Amino acid sequence: MDAALDGTRDEPTGAEELEASPPLSRMAIALLALAGLLISSYLTMYKVGLLGAIQCSIGSCEKVQTSRWSYFLGLPVSAWGLGAYVTILTLAMLGVQPRFARERWVALALFGLSAVGVAFSAYLTYLEAFVIHAWCQWCVISAILITLIFLLSLPGLRQAR
Amino acid sequence: MPRPAPKKSRRNPLLPFYVILGVVAAGGAFMLFRQMGGGGAAAATTLQPVVMTPEQLQRVPGISKGQPAAPVVFMEFADFQCPACGQFARFSEPLIQDYIDNGTVRFVWYDYPLVEIHANAMLAARAGRCANEQNQFWPYHDYVFGQQGQWSEKSNPVNDFVDYAQQAGLDRDAFAQCLRSTRFQKEVSESRELGSTLGVSGTPTLFVNGKRVQDTPATRADWEQIIREETRGAAPAAGTAPAATPPAAPAVAPADSAAG
Repeated sequence: MDAALDGTRDEPTGAEELEASPPLSRMAIALLALAGLLISSYLTMYKVGLLGAIQCSIGSCEKVQTSRWSYFLGLPVSAWGLGAYVTILTLAMLGVQPRFARERWVALALFGLSAVGVAFSAYLTYLEAFVIHAWCQWCVISAILITLIFLLSLPGLRQAR
Repeated sequence: MPRPAPKKSRRNPLLPFYVILGVVAAGGAFMLFRQMGGGGAAAATTLQPVVMTPEQLQRVPGISKGQPAAPVVFMEFADFQCPACGQFARFSEPLIQDYIDNGTVRFVWYDYPLVEIHANAMLAARAGRCANEQNQFWPYHDYVFGQQGQWSEKSNPVNDFVDYAQQAGLDRDAFAQCLRSTRFQKEVSESRELGSTLGVSGTPTLFVNGKRVQDTPATRADWEQIIREETRGAAPAAGTAPAATPPAAPAVAPADSAAG
């Protein structure tokens, strides 16, 4: 804003620009990943028996969470999700720092990880719809979150150096 | 106009972001912690009085174990297909078995099948009642909960239930005949109805001497605390035979279809 009003001002360098306005998409990714982290923590806590019952106002979370598809490679699916969201959150937090905002590997990692997440969520959603015939609201919310994260990771790819 | 001080602009842009992130994280962590059933310093188990009329309890029979005159009466509303009920049966209930054996506690089962989300809950509840007909409810109860993962998702586990009955030492043919009829549908439905009347919405829901237990006791210490509090005021005289109907709501003895 200031730069636009102040005609005499020099064009800001890349670093200054980033300091003045850190990438919004990365902030959004961090917030979405945090939400996903909380949801997957909740489901993981349920799987390891820390919660008595699961709160589920829509759908039938227990049916999904107790089905045999709730494990993947020996770990609860929610634990994989937890790991993915922690990694995405860490990357996004790095990605808002001026030092790393333009790093290519940060953009690529966010893109790649969320792409895998979207594919895996699509598979899980397919299972809910056509195999288990039950919906787990938390899983659906997580699928939406990871899709949004994936979309938000795209601008970073273009801006990366 | 001079540029804004670089020091200030360096810190500010990310600050609101960190604040929002921190607030969300703290709020989420708090909610997760609350869901854990008051782990830590919070009171692990609290009781809430409910209106439970003797008529209600006499009308709908539960299935009990323990002495009929036991001073502490636990009522559990549960669903054989509910994972939390399975955990409760496997890990929590054994913690008070000796209190049941020594006559302090009577434990009464009420069916609360969550038929909306558990396709086999009604069948399992009826199977339990069929086992009760042979006075074998509790061994069967343990067996069915032990095998919960095997039958929960099957489209028609009648044969599994019959096999379990045989393995638990029941008369296979009599059990199969009972289960294949519509017997005990009414009793199970009434039991669920009673639960709804008492404000049960999820399973397992526990009542002790007519008071609702807010958080399912998870440790031996939690159970002992409840049992101690309930036995403190009530001398052995408070124990009542199932047929006798005391006037007040607490310490009411639930009706009982099985011979104690």
